[in-house]
Amino acid sequence: MSSQWEIPKPEPTKNEETTPFWEGTAAGELRFQECEECGNRQLPAAPACVACLSPKVVWRASAGRGTVFSYTVIHHAFHPAFAAEVPYVVADVELDEGPILVSGIRPVDPAAVSIGMAVEVWFEPMADNPEYVLHWFRPAGGES
Amino acid sequence: MGTLRPPRAVIAGVGHTSFGKHPGTSAWRLQVDAFRAALEDCGLQASDVDGLFTESQFSEPLLMHGSLLGRQLGLRPDVLSTQSQGGATCMSLCQTAAEMIDRGMCKVAAVVYGDNAKTGMPNIYGLAQMGRGQADFVAHGLLGGPAMEALSAMRYKHTYGVTDEMFGSVAVAFREHAVATSHAQYRDPLSMEAYLASRYIAEPLRLYDCTIASDGGACIILTAPEVAADLARPAVRVLGMGQAHNLDGLRDRDHYTHFAGARASKTAYAMAGLGPDDIDVAQFYDCFTSTVLITLEDYGFAPKGEGGAFALEGNLRIDGGRLPSNTDGGMLSCGNVTGWGQVIEATKQLRGDQGPRQVQGAATAICSGHGGFQANHATMILAVA
Repeated sequence: MSSQWEIPKPEPTKNEETTPFWEGTAAGELRFQECEECGNRQLPAAPACVACLSPKVVWRASAGRGTVFSYTVIHHAFHPAFAAEVPYVVADVELDEGPILVSGIRPVDPAAVSIGMAVEVWFEPMADNPEYVLHWFRPAGGES
Repeated sequence: MGTLRPPRAVIAGVGHTSFGKHPGTSAWRLQVDAFRAALEDCGLQASDVDGLFTESQFSEPLLMHGSLLGRQLGLRPDVLSTQSQGGATCMSLCQTAAEMIDRGMCKVAAVVYGDNAKTGMPNIYGLAQMGRGQADFVAHGLLGGPAMEALSAMRYKHTYGVTDEMFGSVAVAFREHAVATSHAQYRDPLSMEAYLASRYIAEPLRLYDCTIASDGGACIILTAPEVAADLARPAVRVLGMGQAHNLDGLRDRDHYTHFAGARASKTAYAMAGLGPDDIDVAQFYDCFTSTVLITLEDYGFAPKGEGGAFALEGNLRIDGGRLPSNTDGGMLSCGNVTGWGQVIEATKQLRGDQGPRQVQGAATAICSGHGGFQANHATMILAVA
């Protein structure tokens, strides 16, 4: 395979919409957007409320707790950077505040993950690019 | 929505390259070869083509794809359209082409795609491009079609108690059809035991739940009925067309289990004046076995949650099934040209000369195109002239 198509390990992108989210994770805070007009709460970030199109969306901090809406255990490394991590769990996590976001569940025994399972957030700087702090979830301590 | 009327435009020709490994062959070459094959199929000349409808090769997403391809085909078309709706693109392009033919804006439309996804650029390149700006998921390792689709399949399995054998019955039936298809990429028989023993790619999806990768090109020629009347081969009628796009994602908590295909097929059935009971053969967008089961339900062939039982009872098989489906082996076994194969195989079945895999007496066919990870859907209902 020619080097022309070598792809760097995927990492987040900061732009006008997403920068507040990544500033949040760097501060140990999981943020979502809330519409001041209609109250809709949303992730991923968008330029306006996707329910009413109002531009008056503000960032709120989540308590960092939610449940697994769906998940998969990934066994095949689709990118070489993840080859050492398989099998690993990626999940849609439904926050208690409403929005659903993609994350990973770790550390965890993949066989112990189930839909509806309670999880809580934790944060870790990306090894290759500490400018970004990623949000991960782990099984909740029992009081969720 | 206004009054639904079928188009006058018909399908006159279909063509494709062989599917498999074509090392050193560019995506452009595969597109040009497929275009030539479709023209030879119907007896038209490149100079007859006045409408060009394209999708960029997925492995190298390009702006202005239609212009770049048209230049290599030596065309000066009156209309040109390049669309990008994932696996729904082919049928969306066919629908646009049919409408432009009906309006008199063109007479002969070529709908073209080709990619060297097997031996060329890694598929992941296109996905990485798609993921840019949405890296809130790629950074956690949600990469590759199977991983993204698995989130739907897991939710579907959990909600309706779908068993591994139900998923497997789709893979096994379509492989049985590929065995009878001379141009299919994978023709070794597949047993349920071998399916269940295959490795997981992204749970609950195993190797044989996932579409194959192919180098291949495909082309569909639509034209006005008066043009088709002079051609050697019988045209296939377009009775129904529909689309729907669920772009609100998981804001709809049913997003993973109820696809836009329910709305798209409703439109297509209404346009055709037909219902599920009137369909003789189906060609589903089978990027994954789970996608087929959910589409069976969305299209009204089985109640919600019972698509798996429908498949497990053998209803997708040419040999005695209620709804022979993906009669060439589909994207799971024959070849993956992201939605072109469905219309091409439906056209062949309605011509009625497909040898051991022919569904006897097939007069109506339904095709699904599904893309964008549960976002985009298009439906076509075809019939013998």
